[in-house]
Amino acid sequence: MAIKFPSVEFFQELANRMQGNAAEFEKLGFCDTVMAVKVDGGDPHLYGLTFSCFDCTDVRELGGADELELDFTLVAPLALWREMFESIQKSGIPEPAYTLNSLSHVGDRMAVVYDDPEGHDKFYRFMATIQAFVNQASDLDIEWA
Amino acid sequence: MSYYGSTDYSYNSDFNLRVRDMKKGNLDFGWLDDARDKVEVRRQDPRRGLMLQDIEVGDYAIENTPEVVRENRGLAPRGAILAEGSDQPDLGPTLNKKSDVWGYRVQSYWEEAMSRQWNVTTDVPWQDMDKYEIPEEIEFAFCQLCTLLSEVEMIATDLPSKWSHHMNSQFQEVKGFIATQCIDEARHAEVFRKRALANGVGLLRASVRGEHALKGILEADSYSEGSVFLHVLGEGFILTLFRSSEFISPTPVEQRMFQLVMQDEARHVSYGLQHLKYLMDECPEARPQINGFLDEAERHLTGLFNPDQLESMIVLGGKGTSPECIKRGVETVGAFQGKQIQEYFHRAERAGLPERRERSPLLELQQRMLTAIQAV
Ligand SMILES: [Fe+2]
Ligand SMILES: [Fe+2]
Repeated sequence: MAIKFPSVEFFQELANRMQGNAAEFEKLGFCDTVMAVKVDGGDPHLYGLTFSCFDCTDVRELGGADELELDFTLVAPLALWREMFESIQKSGIPEPAYTLNSLSHVGDRMAVVYDDPEGHDKFYRFMATIQAFVNQASDLDIEWA
Repeated sequence: MSYYGSTDYSYNSDFNLRVRDMKKGNLDFGWLDDARDKVEVRRQDPRRGLMLQDIEVGDYAIENTPEVVRENRGLAPRGAILAEGSDQPDLGPTLNKKSDVWGYRVQSYWEEAMSRQWNVTTDVPWQDMDKYEIPEEIEFAFCQLCTLLSEVEMIATDLPSKWSHHMNSQFQEVKGFIATQCIDEARHAEVFRKRALANGVGLLRASVRGEHALKGILEADSYSEGSVFLHVLGEGFILTLFRSSEFISPTPVEQRMFQLVMQDEARHVSYGLQHLKYLMDECPEARPQINGFLDEAERHLTGLFNPDQLESMIVLGGKGTSPECIKRGVETVGAFQGKQIQEYFHRAERAGLPERRERSPLLELQQRMLTAIQAV
């Protein structure tokens, strides 16, 4: 059954898959961060994702960034999230221009919003886990908003 | 042999008599005389196992340790019972004040480091390298970059190892964390060496300017100076350089490599930031000294931007050597340098040194360098 993007169900499915892929995420190590994904556009949405130990333990839609103590937020328009997930779906990992780091580095197609530099650095400390988390969408049947 | 102790324990007759007694079954259990009360240790999260934070209890906790350690100058771990008088040997630690080395949350960085270790031989998809055709000029540029990065990683291994035995053993978590840094940096030097050789081009030119900058890190007069130079300034810049390198990587193999090294680097930066913050909070009188040191260190650091490295980054950033590619490469490199400097100022501000933004020569030096590149 197709899962709508953006939606809480979409990120919850990734969180469920993370538990199912325990060996992969245990190998990557502890991941402790509270981050958000913001899908910008005419109908913007903000989702909070809490990672603890080897799991994503909480997924929720947020009314505002102050509802959780966020380390950082990844902000991109819907079209870019779509391009990124479609790239992941081609071969299981994103093409070079569509890794989370590449999208958020020079050119700032995807913005990384943060207050505290230590929170910001968590994006890089846990990069392999967060990338693996989104890569799990590689075979999801996605219904685009 | 350069250390001859005051007692030759191998010919100690008291000891020999005691051993003879023990063999007869006469144990005196004297080592239990001063035993502390039992402590209650709780595993806060069973999935994680037993964490360092879980055993921060009673006399074992760092928060119950005096700011200046005078008693223990040997190898006894925090909480062990020391011999009376001056029997315990003095190993001459020079870093005996907590603010000399400590950083907030250092236990969690040590745990994170242990949990997120990886293996160059098996975790980089080397087997995929044959799938991709890399243009020759890109491969050469990448190998030049790997050469500089190997030099950087050498110093990042040596700095923590140089200071570890100067730290009082009460600060075991810092010694443990910087030991993980040593293995992280050794792994980074390994990955860049392997990658440079993997396609046959190998290592290219070592950097004179770069090595002078790196020497400045190693020669810092105090651990805090070395740490702020390496962890906050140097590794902060290198973290952004790794992000850029991932961005301009020729194939997913190099991207994977940089995703993995970037995680370690960000952890080192976080510890450095928390050490600097702790130092500024607990020892504000160190501020002028750290500022004076950074005035010079920031100048030194620009040595890392040597012509060979800049050119190789420009070729990688522009994806070639045609005039259009070089133009694009110059823009990419300029953008990431600006990011490096801004992120450094953010971190310095967070650690309690907002004045770096005003005092620092970095922006002016960067501007001069960009003008020079654009004039070519
Ligand atoms: Fe490193
Ligand atoms: Fe490092």
